[in-house]
Amino acid sequence: MNRAKQNADSLMWLLTGRRRRVPPLGFGLLVGVGLWSLLAIGARVCASDWGTRDKEFSEQILPVLTKSCFGCHAGAEADGGLSLVYFKDARGVFRERSIWEKVAQRVELGDMPPAEADPLSVADRKRIVEWIRTTLNDIDCGKTPNPGSVTLRRLNRFEYRNTIKDLFQIDYEPATGFPGDDVGYGFDNIGDVLTLPPLLMEKYVRAAEEISERVIKAPDPGPVFESPRKIQQLRADSGGKAEGNRFVFFSNGKIQFEEQAPWTGRYTLDVGMAGSAAAGQYPKVVVTVDGKKAGEVTVETESPDKAKGFEIPLRLRTGKRSIELAFVNDKYIEAKGGKSAQDTNLYIYDMKLRGQKPSEPTAEGGLPASHRELVRDAVPSATRSPRDAATEVLRKVASRAYRRLVTEEELRRLTDIVVATMDEGESYESGLQVAIAAVLVSPNFLFKIEEAEEKRGQEFPLLSEFELATRLSYFLWSSTPDKELLSAAAKKQLRDPVVLRRQMERMIRDERARDFVRNFAGQWLTLRKLETVVPNENMFPTWNEEIRDLARTETYLFFLNVMRENMNVMRLLDADFTFLNEKLARFYGVPGVEGDRFRKVSLKGQKRMGLLTHASILAVTSNPTRTSPVKRGKWILDNILGTPPPPAPAGVPELEKGELVGTLRQQLEQHRANPACASCHKLMDPMGLALENYNAVGLWRTQDRGSDIDASGELPSGEKVRNPGDLIRVLRDNKSERFLRTLTEKLMVYGIGRGLEYYDRCAIDKILLRASQQDNRFQDLMYEIIMSDPFQRKGLREEL
Amino acid sequence: MKIPRLSRRTMLRGVGTAVGLPLLEAMLPTRSVLGAGPSDQPVRMLFMMVPNGIHMPTWTPSTEGPKFELPQTLASLEKHRAHLSVFTGLTLDGARDHGDGPGDHARSGASFLTGAHPRKTDGADIKNGVSIDQVAAQAIGHKTRFGSLELGLEGSAQSGNCDSGYSCAYSSNLAWRNDSSPLAKEMDPSAVFERLFGTPDKVSEGKNHQSRAGKRKSILDYALEDANQLKRRLGVADQRKLDEYLYAVRDVENRLLKTDKLQIGENGIPNYSRPAGVPREWAEHCRLMMDMIALAIRTDASRVLTFMMANEGSNRGYPEIGAPESHHELSHHGKSAEKQSKLQKINTFHIQHLAYLAEQLAMVPEGNGTLLDNCMIIYGSGISDGDRHNHDDLPILMLGNAGGRIKKPGHWRFPNNTPLCNLYLWMLHQVGVKADRFGDSSDLLKFG
Repeated sequence: MNRAKQNADSLMWLLTGRRRRVPPLGFGLLVGVGLWSLLAIGARVCASDWGTRDKEFSEQILPVLTKSCFGCHAGAEADGGLSLVYFKDARGVFRERSIWEKVAQRVELGDMPPAEADPLSVADRKRIVEWIRTTLNDIDCGKTPNPGSVTLRRLNRFEYRNTIKDLFQIDYEPATGFPGDDVGYGFDNIGDVLTLPPLLMEKYVRAAEEISERVIKAPDPGPVFESPRKIQQLRADSGGKAEGNRFVFFSNGKIQFEEQAPWTGRYTLDVGMAGSAAAGQYPKVVVTVDGKKAGEVTVETESPDKAKGFEIPLRLRTGKRSIELAFVNDKYIEAKGGKSAQDTNLYIYDMKLRGQKPSEPTAEGGLPASHRELVRDAVPSATRSPRDAATEVLRKVASRAYRRLVTEEELRRLTDIVVATMDEGESYESGLQVAIAAVLVSPNFLFKIEEAEEKRGQEFPLLSEFELATRLSYFLWSSTPDKELLSAAAKKQLRDPVVLRRQMERMIRDERARDFVRNFAGQWLTLRKLETVVPNENMFPTWNEEIRDLARTETYLFFLNVMRENMNVMRLLDADFTFLNEKLARFYGVPGVEGDRFRKVSLKGQKRMGLLTHASILAVTSNPTRTSPVKRGKWILDNILGTPPPPAPAGVPELEKGELVGTLRQQLEQHRANPACASCHKLMDPMGLALENYNAVGLWRTQDRGSDIDASGELPSGEKVRNPGDLIRVLRDNKSERFLRTLTEKLMVYGIGRGLEYYDRCAIDKILLRASQQDNRFQDLMYEIIMSDPFQRKGLREEL
Repeated sequence: MKIPRLSRRTMLRGVGTAVGLPLLEAMLPTRSVLGAGPSDQPVRMLFMMVPNGIHMPTWTPSTEGPKFELPQTLASLEKHRAHLSVFTGLTLDGARDHGDGPGDHARSGASFLTGAHPRKTDGADIKNGVSIDQVAAQAIGHKTRFGSLELGLEGSAQSGNCDSGYSCAYSSNLAWRNDSSPLAKEMDPSAVFERLFGTPDKVSEGKNHQSRAGKRKSILDYALEDANQLKRRLGVADQRKLDEYLYAVRDVENRLLKTDKLQIGENGIPNYSRPAGVPREWAEHCRLMMDMIALAIRTDASRVLTFMMANEGSNRGYPEIGAPESHHELSHHGKSAEKQSKLQKINTFHIQHLAYLAEQLAMVPEGNGTLLDNCMIIYGSGISDGDRHNHDDLPILMLGNAGGRIKKPGHWRFPNNTPLCNLYLWMLHQVGVKADRFGDSSDLLKFG
């Protein structure tokens, strides 16, 4: 036990200083205890052992709280709205972890209790903080820990575009114009924050229409026939005549006229009419073609002045046709006993015959590849119904799009759409288009569906194989599972560790793995923010948008290489190689690289090693006109060590030229003279200053504004560094545990799409342990993540 | 055929050919007004937020009342003085820390239109309040094609938690449909134009075809059925996500089908060419968005709009006016005269775009006056001094006279800590929402 604890502590560089640092993210708190229990699984007090904890609370903690906190933090008028008096036992503290994490952080930092209150002794301070931490993190990995529950995840805009590309070989660029996806826990694929506002739904609908029309080619619509009639030229055999802008029937009669139908097919007689009623009887109109009745309508309108449109469908053969429109039910009631007369009259305002020639099928060569692949010979014919043919096409489309086998019931509803569209006179292909558009707005497509399942006994339920395939492919490809993955899922092979491993390796080799790098590394290393970094043109004339993009490409290719070659992930920090092309090499001043193609370049003899010396990362952590050692230090704490410092208190001035003098280093030292600033800046500044040899766009320098660069310093954990290389070696040699844990946590968040909770610690510990047995190689780490319970199982949202 | 005897219904029936020109006349609410007093024109609400506070010494007028002295930052609004009210002393209590520590930017963005105190989280459990625009939209949104429009110049931030442990949802959204559903904003002027007036090649499409609306109906019906079936098979948290989906589908159903029925073509919009996308230049981008807002208001596409000049805490620099440094960093001026002068430049630059919008609205006659008369444009920030992060003494102004309901535009000072929501409550009453309270309101604001 003791030795284990010592080991853990020696790795916890942050714990060796006078103060521990407490990151705001709950999970980050688990630093110390995490490793400790990794080495002593099951040997701890069980979470259920609340008796001891309650005793500790009432005997040791409560008295201190009463003396030092309750003066302000009690009752309805408690300071900051935080009342602590209602906590009666340890379990209550455990339930309200976010409050107590904050309490521990503020007490540890020393700004609570405030200066004017009763001071807290060093021992009491320590006791409170430690007790809170231990209580909050008391979880027993020996039992089956909750694998956690992922909130339904919508495809984000990158995933949407990739998915469409993989399903239909169509690059739907407008997807980049979808509203930005909100970010949670550092990534934009988190179910809880991926909302679906109506604005986005509207774009999904338009996208679905456009995409389906590109996937399936419907025959061009045939020519349109339109023949309007002039009201004034209409003649009736009896009962009516043209009056001003309308034709009025006051008693039974009919209008007859001839039309030259240009082709055989469906036509519509489009008539604007109004009617008046006698005893509730509105005028009835019968339409005949060549003496045969074709349709009948009752003209019921608000008043004779308010015409309504009536559409009477007709089938006409080519040639001269005789069309008749007859008013057949005239009725008249005379005025009597003060009641006015009532008359059934018909008023015609406009009339038009229109039709559209059936379209010609498109020649094979004019069809898009997706159309040929999906439809093939599944077209309706004399022996095959449209529904049958459509079933064949839509089974393929919907199963791929839903990432599982489509159900017969779903297929029936989809083919209903095809049939209904054809009933409206449209082509089979148009019907397919509408059905495919429906698939593309279905929640089964837009969300990564994981169905709820009851826990049976001790074990939490596994994801279905299809659900697992979906998690895998959006993790490694930011896209939909391909046929191979789906068929492995359909054959229920994915739970075979050998198969799963082989699939993972195949996916990492695949081109689509570049999107893992772009989306995971892009966000983890904050490189997406590079777009908004605009170094001052006059001060950094060799930097421009092209260099910016090349610098990002360098980091992505480097990351991809470490992953594909299955190197130890520590190479990310200390690699002696990188990827350059001629332009970027020239920017860095590296000789001997020619052409636009990026290639692996050795860094021997260069003053660079690993990620931290990439121009992309050095630029994204700088200000437009100068470097920012604070930002660089904070970046390392946030992203490499996973121990973000608390945010700066309000009202503290930033570096101010007027007040602070000397070099940047001297100014920072003056800033740290303020005790309010010192506690955090002590952590950030030395690491940032060690990188001062790289300017705000990442170029090597030995001087800044006339003074020599001094990159030396002492880290809070005691290591002395003289230059960037020293810093990187310290990170690699002394802080590798922190780095591995941070990377693993980030990969986990990205992979499962939710923030980590305290109960995830067990899974992370296990992953780290197993990966360390494989020399911490990238793909082994990835494999352990994929095999872990949070990735494979459905748990609960919260379990106490 | 195209003789005006056709009722509007009959005209729409023959859609493909009949529309085009008469649209503006027909669709614009230009009925004439008889008699004095508040006009019977609809009152429009637009809320515009600028991030990082304001340099207050050149914002707050030195004198009060109707004849106040126009301060330096507001100089470009000189022409619209008759429509300008400045409110001093209003407070956004929800943006204060209340024990939650840092994060004033996220909080002030989240609180600006809700008056709520957002829950500190960067993930799972965002919680804010309903925003005033959405309260208004729920009451009057059905009268227009879009219940509300959410616009801005930046999308949601792309990585990291956005401010000291607060979700980006807080700092990049003003409109909140309920306490956990922010409404994303549109930042591409061409996309706004398309939403308002349809795609160019589809306007005349569908002649003699089953209408696009009919097809859309099949698509959305199918999706709704899927969602209803799915709901039964999901856990509780997931059902909430699906509810959000169902809400969005129904909303779109109303909107898309309405747009299609109306067949508004861009031909109906005089002298305005379709924007091509998001311009590189900030000023050009902002100007185009102001044009879109003006177009949306004048075609009565919506009466409730929100607009974010940038996301709260924005780091954008404005090199074109000599302030290349990050706006947020400048706002922590530490009393540096140089930084304050740059801040003032940024504030002024922003106000110039507001003036441009006012100009667009003032050019359109409506009733006895202009569109601007019938607007209530709130412009301001949820932070006062960016260096102190204080949320009292906020910079808030209103352009437009709420259709004559503001009798005396001027500069009005209120006791400090008067809730900003008192002003919002007053505005709700002007559009016919007679609520008793909104956010942390204590009373109707009385002024003028």
